[in-house]
Amino acid sequence: MRLALLCALVVLAFVAALALGDQPVPPGEVLGALFGAEGVPAPSRIIVTELRLPRAVTALLVGAALAIAGTIAQAVMRNALADPGIVGVNAGAALAAMVVIVQVGSLPETALPWLTFGGALAMAVLIYAFAWRQGTTGTRIILVGIGLSALAGAGASAISVFGEPAYVQRAMVWLAGSLQDSRWEKLPHLLGWSLPPALLAWAAARELDLIALGDDVARARGQPVNLARALAILACAMLSGAAVAAAGLVAFVGLAAPHIARALTGPRHARLIPAAALVGAALLLTADIAARRTAPPLQLPVGLVTALLGAPFFAFLLWKRRND
Amino acid sequence: MTRTAAYSLGLVLLILLVALWSLATGAAGLSLAEAARALLAPGEGRADAILWQVRLPRVVAALTAGAALGAAGAIMQAVTGNPLAEPGLLGVNAGAAFVVVVALSAFGVTASGALIWCAFGGAGAAAVLVYAMASAGRGGATPIRLVLAGVIVATFLGALTTAILLIDSQTLDAVRFWTAGSLKGRQLAQMLPVLPYAAISLAAALVFARQFTTLSLGGDVARSIGQNPALWRAIAACCVVGLAGSAVSIAGPLGFVGLVVPHMVRLTLGGGYGRILPLSILGGAALTLLADTAPRALLSVDMPAGITLALIGAPFFISLARSHGAVRR
Repeated sequence: MRLALLCALVVLAFVAALALGDQPVPPGEVLGALFGAEGVPAPSRIIVTELRLPRAVTALLVGAALAIAGTIAQAVMRNALADPGIVGVNAGAALAAMVVIVQVGSLPETALPWLTFGGALAMAVLIYAFAWRQGTTGTRIILVGIGLSALAGAGASAISVFGEPAYVQRAMVWLAGSLQDSRWEKLPHLLGWSLPPALLAWAAARELDLIALGDDVARARGQPVNLARALAILACAMLSGAAVAAAGLVAFVGLAAPHIARALTGPRHARLIPAAALVGAALLLTADIAARRTAPPLQLPVGLVTALLGAPFFAFLLWKRRND
Repeated sequence: MTRTAAYSLGLVLLILLVALWSLATGAAGLSLAEAARALLAPGEGRADAILWQVRLPRVVAALTAGAALGAAGAIMQAVTGNPLAEPGLLGVNAGAAFVVVVALSAFGVTASGALIWCAFGGAGAAAVLVYAMASAGRGGATPIRLVLAGVIVATFLGALTTAILLIDSQTLDAVRFWTAGSLKGRQLAQMLPVLPYAAISLAAALVFARQFTTLSLGGDVARSIGQNPALWRAIAACCVVGLAGSAVSIAGPLGFVGLVVPHMVRLTLGGGYGRILPLSILGGAALTLLADTAPRALLSVDMPAGITLALIGAPFFISLARSHGAVRR
């Protein structure tokens, strides 16, 4: 029931994303254009299907990918404040892409997901390795992640200071988290990189439930703890890499969506993962509408809007957990 | 001679040596002899212009910002009882930088005497916000909550700053190097209005070092020996705002100096803040000047000091985080 409501919400946000813009299109025409009905004026059809649809689909997928990555990260790190953004996995992906954008200038579209995935994975492995000291704790992982993401950030600013200004500007806009460059050609990569890990995570929902309970419990129930965790981190890195390659750095969706979803469906991952994906999709669609419509004709990067939404949300989380 | 005095003397000598090294290196070829001549007997020549208008201001900027941040970090660690406290990590620098960028972009403020007050305001507001967020509720401001709140506020303000810079390319051009923490192109005339505030805050930090030591023992102990912790926390906060605000308006948001230096002092000497503070001031100045000079002199790249400091400081932070189990929560 709640999942159905969430689906309805996503559909609503999706239609709104297609309808709103400098040239508003009435919702009836949006649906007509989508389903190829007769009698839709040609301009409306072009605006909806060629300009806004790829962007809306990208927002949907990126939001879902980030939300699932966040759900996995929170389970593995056993800390509800974890998120691939705060912990620095995204920063690793961004640094890898930044190096190539600024140094090489042009690169084939298919290479970007590989790069960002490599960066995200390297970062996840490093965080885990450095946080390991006869076992690890969620707190230590977060702190080490903050340190490593500062390091990656310093690397990125070093590149931006010495790089070709035009490339740097482009990289900066992209880094700030923007859906502006959403094109149909990019969607297969996004899907290819995010769908398998998302399905894997969903299929392994029970294992994630176990991981979240802690090593000892999981081991007692017969889970190969380290293998499960390694696979979970791999999935998380693939999802983050896919999201970063498609939209740059979009903060806080990975933090907020699992929380909202948990409040709706409870902590079991079999229901939590689809719910989080829907919440993430709705969040990013709405945030992108806000980014496009706040100061037209200027298009703010959507990452900016989510960062602005995220800080108050995070404050609220800290406040809610004040008795811990 | 006490150990403290010996270390202080050593640091002062180090600062003098690095300052000379910094004065003698740069894009324009200038021999050490020429530099020394221009320094000791200022004249009108090319060497004098380079030394007095380009290189010396840069040294002054590094020393002032580093000293201020070292002191600010030491005070924050004392007051919050938190080994990870530092103006960069806790969002204070980001707050100052944000308000300065707003003032530059939206209101066209360019006088550094006015910008310094923007930096103070931003630093203060961010400090209050982070501390309030982290200490809401029963748990209090534990290290992890303070750091998370700081990172969040810094991200939030960073996003706003980026938004302004994306919209306003003129301001972006003006602050591109400043926001990376570069000391390149500082001018004495810009710094002069800020220096008195930095000096007053540094002096206050030194004078109140004993009270900060008492604060670092915790509110109960402080109260039991007759200190008013609320009053002294407020005074400490004013010192931090003065220090971080002046540092940011001179050098941009330099991170990690305030984290690394007080820890190094504490590890080598231990003891109260009467000892940690002066040595952190000297150590912060030395480290920042070194971070500004070494890449330029050794690798001939003009790396912004903020980046070098993050590259040095982040591994240090990670090693502190690794030992988090032993840390007072």
